[in-house]
Amino acid sequence: MHTSDTALRTEGLSKRFGDIVALDHLDLEVTRGEVVGYLGPNGAGKTTTIRLLLGLSRPTEGRAEIFGLDCQRQPVETHRRLAFVAGDANLWPSLTGAETLALLSRVHGQVDEAYRDALIERFDLDPTKKVRAYSKGNHQKVILIAALMVRPDLLVLDEPTSGLDPLMEQAFRHCVHEAKDRGQTVFLSSHIMSEVEALCDRVGILRDGRLVEMGTLAEMRHLSALTVEARFARTVPDLSVVPGVSAVEANGSMVRCQVRGSIEPLVKVLASAGVTELLSREPSLEELFLAQYGADCRAG
Amino acid sequence: MRADRGIRARITAPVRAGGSPASVVAALSARKAVRSGVLWGYIFGVAIASSEITYGRLYKTAAQRDALAATYGTSKAMSALFGPAPQLQTVSGFTVFKISMTLMILGAAWGLLTSTRLLRGEEDSGRWDLLLCGQTTRQRATAQVIAGLGVGLVTLWAVTAIITVLSGRPSSVGIGVGPSLYFSVGMVATAAMFLAVGAVTSQLAATRRLAATLAAEFLGVSYGVRLIADAGMGLHGLIWVSPLGWVEELRPLTSPQPLALLPIVAFTAVLAVVAVRLAGARDAGASILAGRDRGDAHLRLLYGPSGLAIRLLRATVIGWWVAIGLSAFLYGLIAKSTGATISGSVKEVFSKLGATGSGADAVFGVCFLIEAILIGFVAAGQVTAARSEESESMLENFVVRPVSRSAWLGGRLVVALVALVLSGVAAGVVGWLGAASQHTGMSFTSLLGAGVNLVPPAVVILGIGVLTFGTRPRATSIVVYAVLGWSLLIVIVGGFGTVGHWVLDTSVFHHMASAPGVPPNWEANGIMIGIGLAAALIGGLAFRRRDLQGA
Ligand SMILES: Nc1ncnc2c1ncn2[C@@H]1O[C@H](COP(=O)(O)OP(=O)(O)OP(=O)(O)O)[C@@H](O)[C@H]1O
Ligand SMILES: [Mg+2]
Repeated sequence: MHTSDTALRTEGLSKRFGDIVALDHLDLEVTRGEVVGYLGPNGAGKTTTIRLLLGLSRPTEGRAEIFGLDCQRQPVETHRRLAFVAGDANLWPSLTGAETLALLSRVHGQVDEAYRDALIERFDLDPTKKVRAYSKGNHQKVILIAALMVRPDLLVLDEPTSGLDPLMEQAFRHCVHEAKDRGQTVFLSSHIMSEVEALCDRVGILRDGRLVEMGTLAEMRHLSALTVEARFARTVPDLSVVPGVSAVEANGSMVRCQVRGSIEPLVKVLASAGVTELLSREPSLEELFLAQYGADCRAG
Repeated sequence: MRADRGIRARITAPVRAGGSPASVVAALSARKAVRSGVLWGYIFGVAIASSEITYGRLYKTAAQRDALAATYGTSKAMSALFGPAPQLQTVSGFTVFKISMTLMILGAAWGLLTSTRLLRGEEDSGRWDLLLCGQTTRQRATAQVIAGLGVGLVTLWAVTAIITVLSGRPSSVGIGVGPSLYFSVGMVATAAMFLAVGAVTSQLAATRRLAATLAAEFLGVSYGVRLIADAGMGLHGLIWVSPLGWVEELRPLTSPQPLALLPIVAFTAVLAVVAVRLAGARDAGASILAGRDRGDAHLRLLYGPSGLAIRLLRATVIGWWVAIGLSAFLYGLIAKSTGATISGSVKEVFSKLGATGSGADAVFGVCFLIEAILIGFVAAGQVTAARSEESESMLENFVVRPVSRSAWLGGRLVVALVALVLSGVAAGVVGWLGAASQHTGMSFTSLLGAGVNLVPPAVVILGIGVLTFGTRPRATSIVVYAVLGWSLLIVIVGGFGTVGHWVLDTSVFHHMASAPGVPPNWEANGIMIGIGLAAALIGGLAFRRRDLQGA
């Protein structure tokens, strides 16, 4: 059973399209107030998951619930508490931005108009223009504002910033921080690693429809390798024999390598070899992701 | 997935064509236009051939042929509906009379649908932006599409002509190569003119739907003008005002008058130039009418999906109402004078078309059959609009918010039903106005009843459409237009030939009593409405259970 702290929960959620298994027994739980990133290479099943959560597609197996409400059986009740942003959504070309926002607020029912106007200002949107005359980024702003203005308990975002310029990307991050501060839950699927790194408490990585990793960034870094760069005064030692060390690249007196697990054996070797400069860096989310994805490429 | 496929198609095509961006547009348009030109040319050719071949079988003796000419050739009602019928004693005259009006209208429909699809439709879908990427002007691209359409037109003519020439060869038919080629020119002349009309409306209208509607309205007016001209009201000069009239004046196979090609060619050329000019005068994706990119907010109808549907579809539906009202008014005008000339076997033809009674009643019977078909188009348009809302993923904007799928579909159905009922009422009331203006003596209530009587077949089409939408969404448009097209075909064929009753029964229009000649059959109407609503209900239930599906 879910507790009242659970915002989103799936149990064995699966979706097949003919022979393609787009989503394979996904078990996911997001706690209220969390900002969760949802990553995965193209075609991993992120959009499929979100469409199942929204009741746009029907699961082949399993179930999903949002705030204890069944996503398939109680779509209207669920949707009262969430807002959704898609990166490739379409709006009605002949309506203006203002008309679109007015229509979508009326459909939702409960909108803070002052906040809506503040958002229009913050995203620097000209609402008198017709949707067909908007550029890709301005089109996306309308969709974002339409979702944020509702101040929903849960924000479901699928590549929400596609087409936004860096300034607007900043405005978007500001809004997500604000949402988090207000206790809203955010489920963010994105290919922009810096965005996920900056915003998310926890990250899930999906591959071929299966959740292969789920945890906080710190936890995931722990599992992953640390990059170490060292410069030596004397001859360069052979680091590849040190336990836990891999991917050794020597370049004159410089060596770069990766360490997994305990760093102690490496430190001992370095100390005795007369290291003059030492730099160690935690992997970025992008590197973590590439490591995951790269493993897949090598395997496949 | 589907987006991938679309992009791949867009990218490989130019590579294969290997030309400049503009000639790529021409090549792509030509390919599409040729494909449908071949299909329609085949249909045209077969229709002509079947008419030429059946004449000899149906009317063997000179006496039979004289009788045919005596009845059909003198009926004003026949001439109003199908054009004048000289020389019915010959296979040539019979063929012209029997199929030329149908092919003229089909050709015009092909022209306006093809050009609005390849001009406004492609632009709406955003494909042009990808192809052009600013490398050529919109004006040049439009000229290239028109060139592509021209290739399609030549194909349509060539296929029609080949079959016509071949079917004219047997001695029982005996139509020479020259006359066959000229006849084929006449039969595709409306296609040429309405390709150009569609090209212009594509520049005027903001959507493909509206562009096609505007062009169809022009077709309706052209038909109406020539109908008056041929109705024996002493207004034959009007024939030169209507593009369909010019084609009639070509008089192929009977007494050719190639001079009438002049206005046809001039009209087509001028409109093509105008279309290219207009394309240059507007922005990418924009239109001349309602082409403003900015506007004050009009929130009156924007309370939800149904209100939005009314706002977005009203221009199209009003267009249909204009067509329905105008044609009903025209029939009302001519009902009395042409009704008087209906007698003998003409009456039989009218009754096969579904009209009973005599005089004005019979004319109204045929008139209302045509109105029923128009209202069928309104129904089909409503269903396909709902499907496009899904396939263009506009629907998602509602159903990810607190709007249930049932509420959305139910709202759309109510809007559609209201549009259908109002269409029927419009046909009845405006038809009565036309009749009353000529003191025809038809009662208001009987014509209003006849108007409302037109709605049930459209409800069946609506129901079948929703059923398809719920179960096989991607087939929605094909199925509704197939049902409509089939029903229409059965009506036309049933009007002339001898078709088995069970075949007639497959036409939704066959189950409609031909009011006002006979009183509406409310029992049959009730059954039709029941079938339509039941189908819609099943479709709605299926829709709730399925995935939303893109194009
Ligand atoms: N309607 C559909 N019909 C058939 N296959 C589909 C459909 N929708 C998705 N798929 C397949 O399901 C898999 C998962 O697709 P999904 O769109 O969920 O990926 P994604 O993780 O969102 O990818 P991206 O990062 O590219 O957006 C893919 O293999 C895709 O081809
Ligand atoms: Mg996706």
